[in-house]
Amino acid sequence: MSHTSIIAAEEDIAEIAGKVLEEASTPPVSIQIDNVTVSFKTSKGIYTAIKDIDLTVRKGEIVALIGHSGCGKSTLMGAISGMVKPTSGEVFANDKKVTSPGPDRGIVFQNYSLLPWLTVYKNIYVAVDSALKDISAAEKAELVEANLKMVNLWEHKDKLPGQLSGGMKQRVAIARAFSINPKILLLDEPFGALDALTKSAMHIELLKLWNLDNREKTIVMVTHDIEEAIFLSDKVVVMNNGPAATIKEIVDVPLKRPRNKKDIVHDPKYMEIHDRLLNLLIDKFSIDDEH
Amino acid sequence: MSVVYFLAGMVIMGGIWALIAKLTKNEIPAPAATWKVFKEVMHHPFQNDADQKGIGTKLLSSLTRVSIGFGLGSLFAIPLGLIMGSSKIAMRIINPMVQILKPVSPLAWFPLGLAIFQDSPKASIFMIFICCLWPTLINAAFGASNIPQDHKNVSKAFGFSTRKYLTKIVLPFSLPHIITGLRLSIGIAWMVIVAGEMLSGGIGLGNFVWEEGFNGGSVAKILVAIIIIGIVGSLLDRCFTWLQQKFSYAI
Repeated sequence: MSHTSIIAAEEDIAEIAGKVLEEASTPPVSIQIDNVTVSFKTSKGIYTAIKDIDLTVRKGEIVALIGHSGCGKSTLMGAISGMVKPTSGEVFANDKKVTSPGPDRGIVFQNYSLLPWLTVYKNIYVAVDSALKDISAAEKAELVEANLKMVNLWEHKDKLPGQLSGGMKQRVAIARAFSINPKILLLDEPFGALDALTKSAMHIELLKLWNLDNREKTIVMVTHDIEEAIFLSDKVVVMNNGPAATIKEIVDVPLKRPRNKKDIVHDPKYMEIHDRLLNLLIDKFSIDDEH
Repeated sequence: MSVVYFLAGMVIMGGIWALIAKLTKNEIPAPAATWKVFKEVMHHPFQNDADQKGIGTKLLSSLTRVSIGFGLGSLFAIPLGLIMGSSKIAMRIINPMVQILKPVSPLAWFPLGLAIFQDSPKASIFMIFICCLWPTLINAAFGASNIPQDHKNVSKAFGFSTRKYLTKIVLPFSLPHIITGLRLSIGIAWMVIVAGEMLSGGIGLGNFVWEEGFNGGSVAKILVAIIIIGIVGSLLDRCFTWLQQKFSYAI
């Protein structure tokens, strides 16, 4: 046996040990997307929204899907939530194949989607009542109360959604998604309709809720706001323009948590990621670029 | 301010009426003469003797028939409309029937009711029942078939049962549409009952117009009846407008 092969074997062992260590420290897979394509039948023929998407999201990660309007971000989200059936490929969430929406995946919709005839309290209660069948009415009431208090809306519990501001409605929608205690939280442009100040406050609010839950919830959010994506997430998935959108690049955001809105923008790493995302998303930076 | 406008409208209507009275040489009685007859008619409104019935008794009798026919019709039309709106198959099966039966004059159903029930008050109720079906049915179906995707998504995302979907989404969303249908139905029913009672006889406002007014030779009584029918009809409409406002939601 030659000397070199022993060294090689030692290197192998080191490599294997490294892998084992890495696997032990990396959290388990929460969402697994395998080669997913989604096509729709339209009057003009078949429209492919997303094509051959592969993505792995680990437990407790916050992942932002970013891209231009109509690039299939929401379609990909729909495939994870079970609202949209993939034409080919498979999605696994919490080790189970996704075939329909389920209470293990809480959804916050783009336009809040509160039922306008139910009070804030009842909006959450009917969701809890439907999603969690095994707990008693008292426990359900407790969950609703705890989650409404968490988003500071307990004193507004008897109001109808029409009497609330956009930010408050969004908080109700988030409380509703949290109250069924899902392992995965899916947010479809959750803050898109809010003004900049409210949006900023909601980011902190969301991270606070995530922290309270020991950062165990996996969060996937659709956005087209670069700052929002960097501030909130661990990974930013940049998508190509549709039709047949694919993943252009996955940008890691290795910024330490808890993040501070004010300080983070001065972090050179932040600026680097921001630049990278801008370059991926925008072709023209000034009117001179047209020439 | 709205009271002033209301009064202005009434004054104009009274003016036109007085003019017509003058032109017809009081063949159509003037407002003042009609007012006298009105007071007479209102003397014992709820008199209920075998040979003498007050106008109030007749009004109540008509209203009762309308309520029964309207109630039964609504009881039928609302669920059927919701089913139609929720299921494309049900829509395709039921809609052609509705389209054929809807344009039929409600009065055409009266003899059919007579043939079935051998009883003219029941035939009137049957006629009201039929004419109350269509607007409610169509509006309920419209409501149920236009439930926003957002609401459907909520139901899917949180796994609503069918029962919950119906009671928390379909019914509340369709309610304003159903009330619109009910409002149209009661309007038609109120118009039809007078005609029906002219055909059927018995106690009621239509009978009052025909027997005491036309056959009794008192045009003033016909006018009194028209005013009462108009006021009661507009009050019924008001009730449903109020309900409509009560059950519309800001989104």
